[in-house]
This record gives sequence, C-alpha cells and structure tokens, in this order.
Amino acid sequence: MNAPDSVQPEWRLKSANQTRLAYGQALLELAVRETRTVVVSADTQDLLGIRTYIERHRDRFIELGIAEQNAIGVASGLATTGMRPYVCAYAPFISARSMEQVRNDVAYANQRVVIGAAASGVSLGVAGGTHHSLEDLAVMRSFPNMNVIVPADVDEAYKATLATLDIDGPVYLRLGGRTEEPPVTDAQAPFRLGKAAQLRPGNDLAVLACGAMVDLAVRASDALKKEGVGVRVLNMSSIKPFDRDAVLAAAGETRGIVTAEEHHLSGGLGGMVAELLAVENPTRMRMIGMPDAFAMVGPTVAVRVKYGMSAEAIADACRSLLA
Amino acid sequence: MSETRDILVKQLEKHARQVRRDIWRAVRAGGGGHIGGSSSAADILTALYFHRMKIRPKEPKWPERDRFVLSKGHANAGLGAVLAQAGFIDDAILDKFYGYESPFGMHPDIKMAGVEMCTGALGHGLAIAMGMALGARLQKKTFHTFVMIGDGELHEGSNWEAAMAASHHKLSNLTAIIDFNKVCQSARVNEVISVDPLADKWRAFGWAVREFDGHEMATIIDTLEALPVDPQRPTALIAHTVKGKGVSFAEDTYVWHSNSVNDEILAKALAELEEK
Repeated sequence: MNAPDSVQPEWRLKSANQTRLAYGQALLELAVRETRTVVVSADTQDLLGIRTYIERHRDRFIELGIAEQNAIGVASGLATTGMRPYVCAYAPFISARSMEQVRNDVAYANQRVVIGAAASGVSLGVAGGTHHSLEDLAVMRSFPNMNVIVPADVDEAYKATLATLDIDGPVYLRLGGRTEEPPVTDAQAPFRLGKAAQLRPGNDLAVLACGAMVDLAVRASDALKKEGVGVRVLNMSSIKPFDRDAVLAAAGETRGIVTAEEHHLSGGLGGMVAELLAVENPTRMRMIGMPDAFAMVGPTVAVRVKYGMSAEAIADACRSLLA
Repeated sequence: MSETRDILVKQLEKHARQVRRDIWRAVRAGGGGHIGGSSSAADILTALYFHRMKIRPKEPKWPERDRFVLSKGHANAGLGAVLAQAGFIDDAILDKFYGYESPFGMHPDIKMAGVEMCTGALGHGLAIAMGMALGARLQKKTFHTFVMIGDGELHEGSNWEAAMAASHHKLSNLTAIIDFNKVCQSARVNEVISVDPLADKWRAFGWAVREFDGHEMATIIDTLEALPVDPQRPTALIAHTVKGKGVSFAEDTYVWHSNSVNDEILAKALAELEEK
C-alpha cells in the first residue's frame, strides 16, 4: 500500500508515477549531495522534468540543444575534469544517433557519465518507429564498462539515480515516457546494482522482467496464483551487471522461465538470460517482448498489447511452459 | 625578433626535427603508419608541448594542466613523439608502436600518460574538448583546452554541432587547431568534399579565427601566445600545413597518409631530417 499523498515526499508526488520525472527529481537531491553534479540537456528540459533543477542550479546546467553526439562528447570531456555529468536525452536518439560517442568517449574511455534515457521502448507509441527505442538494451549492454539499469517504477528510478553517485563508470539509465508506471517495487528496499529483487515467491515458474513489464509480471503471477500456480517474479532492473545467481536459482528451482521486456526479443533481457542458461543450465524459456518488426503507431499500452507485452500474454506464456 | 626569441625559435625547431625523426622511427617500428598527418602536425605539437601549454610531464594528471585532445587521432605517432620528448612517457615506448599490448597503438589511448582522451574515430574531439573547457569554467580553473582537428575530419557533422555549441557558450578557454594539410586518405580534401571557405565557416559559427603558416615556428608561437583572441569566443586556428612535411618524397600526397616503412625508406627519410 502506498502512503496517502499528504505524507509522501515531494519528489514522489512530482514524479507522478513516471520514471523519467523521478530522474529529474533525484537530480535535485544529487546536486545537494555532490557539488560536482552537472546536468547536460539535449533540449529535454520537460522530458526529464529538470526545470526546478535549472532554477536552483543554473550554474551547473548546460543546454546543448538537439545534438546528441555533442551532448555525449561534452559529458565525457566534463567527466575527465572531475565533474559528474548527468545527460538528459531521448532514449531512441541517444542510444542510436550518438552510439559511437557512447561507445568510444564514454565506455571505452570509461568515464563517469550517467545517461538518463527517457521515452524508451514504445512509450512514444503514437510517434512511430522513428521514435521507438527497442534496441537500446542490446546496444548498451554490449559495451564493456557500461552499467545498464531499467527502473520499474518511480521509487526505483529515484533510488537508482542516487545510487549512480557511487558507480565508478558509465551508466545507461533507461526511463519511461508519459505512460504511468504504477508502484510495484518495495519502496523501503535499497537499490542494489547487480541484484535482482524478488517481488513474488513461487517455485513452479519464474518471470524475469524489467521496466514497465515488472508490474505486468506481478499481475500475471497474482492471476496464476488463483489457478494454483506459483510464479516467482524477479525485477531484473540491473541489466548490467546482472544477478547471475538469481537467474540460475530461478532456473534450478522452477520448471521454466519467462522473460518480459519492452524491447526487441534479440539482445535484451531475454537474450541475456538465454545466453547464461544455454551455457550453465539449459532451461525451457518463453520470451515476451517486441518481435522482429517495427511497431505500429498507437497509444503506448495498445502497442504493448498488440505485440504481446501484457499481463495476459505473460500469463499465457507461463501456462504454455506447464503444458 | 629579439635574440632570446631567436634562440627559443631555434630550440623549438630542433625539438620539431627530433619529433619528425621519432615519427619515422615509430612508424618503422610499427611497420607502417600515418606519416602524413603526424608530420604536418609536428611543428604545432612541438610549440604546444615545449612552449605554450602549462604541463607537468612527471605529474600527468595535474588538475591545473592545460589539455590537448588529438581529435585526428591517426596522428598518434606525432603525439607519442612529443610526449616522449617532453618526458611523459619513456622514449622506448616509441619502439613499441603497434606492439602487442602496447599503450602506443595507432590511436591515442588514455592508458598512456599524457593522453587526455581515446580518439581516432573522427569528429569526436571537439565535443570532448568543449566538455573540458566547460569543466574548467564550472570549477573556476584557468587551464586552456586545445584540440587538433584534421581538415578532412571536418567532413564529420558532429564537429559542427560542437562548433555551434562552443560559441553559444562563449568558451574563450577553448582553441581548435585545424591541421589544414589539404590532403586526406583517398585524394586532396577538396577533391573529396571541399571544406572551403574554411575560415568563413568558423566565423559563421561564431568563432574568432586566425590563419597562419603551421610550419613557421616564430609565427606559431606568436599565434599561440595571443590566445584567446576574443574574451567572448572560442578560437579557431587554421594552420596551413603540408602533409608529410620534412621528407620530400612524403610531402603533399595522399600516398603517405598512411604507408609502410622499411629500413631503406627510413634511412632516406632520416637523412632529410638530420640536423643541419
């Protein structure tokens, strides 16, 4: 149960159940904790909810306009001088247009740059395929040194953003769009890089999910519980490094694994789990995510449902593993 | 020119000849390499590291140091030669160019002392240097950031994103040096894609511009000492240079952008670079 509005912290109210806004709220706290914090924007002041940050810390804010390659290069240069840059950007552009800058200037040079990548997946559903970001996890997790985090809700997004202060290397923080991500994580639990959080117990099957799919996985688990099936749900928000032990335990202790992500089926969370299990413990799997197609135009939730990213589809995938 | 100035210029010219010999030496050790762009940059690199820049070779991470980013990273033989002579790295590293697990590969790597950023993929350095200049401003530090960009490299559009942003942010603590040797990998730059009118382009992007002879040492140091040209603008120094400068058969030809070097060719080159 969530606390009533009257006792919720201000950042949580202002995050409005959107991880992209929780990032902007966390930057306010980061700026206080670390005076070397500097926010770099690619004309994304509302997207990441940073107008309050700009008002309070104009001297530690740099607007670079609609130029993602430049934003990443500048962030890298800032980091070499000891500053702690937080990039605000659109996931589809920062992960593709400026991919070479991320690979070379940030990952290869191992600079402490945090990339807040909002509007990921099909969160810009109506904008069409040019604005969907369905390959960014595959790209980012393939880079050595890169840390990749996909918060499931605003509590996790806020804590993960604060946690980046202690990460000695680059971070890709994958954030959502304007569709609400309902609270699903344990608000009291700390964010731990490289650790999966179990949100539902169960030893019949396990659903490993990230981002907006975590809430759907919990709903699927709750539905299957009524059918007498125990479905473990792991929040795999830490994509890189990831919790090998939790994945291997899920494979060893259940009859099969379902992965769920708002990402192409190749190269993301499902691919990562399959890579591990193929080597360590071949396991029956089903993968929920975007098939090898460009998504249709439509409202975000409708687009998700169309391509099988729904609680019902996750539950069906679980049932198919028991058949 | 005063007598002391004359001595300084002669000293720097001597350093530059050693840098050029070391470029050929390194490329011979590697079996091949980017002679052309390393040699065109040699005089400017020398003037930066032996005269203009505040540096501490024995303390390469000194926070107050001036920064240099070699955006045209394929000229790494030139950078390595300067870093060795300045004392950042052991001279013996020059013989490990392209070597197994060497810190001294084809392109700069921050694993090597004195190298500020991993570069070589073209069109990255100006944005990075701009970040360094912003880092100086934010921390109220006085260091200056230099970035050297190739003329062919200016084909990469990312340069112009950075050029637009750097002038918008009035980064007078940033200087871009264009090594305008007029030759790239396949042909003359202006046969590939023209960069003219180059000075007008930088002016149009809001930069203070100076053009000069990138091999005339007295002119180079005068130009570098006059920075910043404008307290409200970054500076673009357009250095007119000759690809492969110093060795007649390598000059002004794309053939020596990158080429292999054997003992015979090395001997011919070094003969032209001997102290007179």
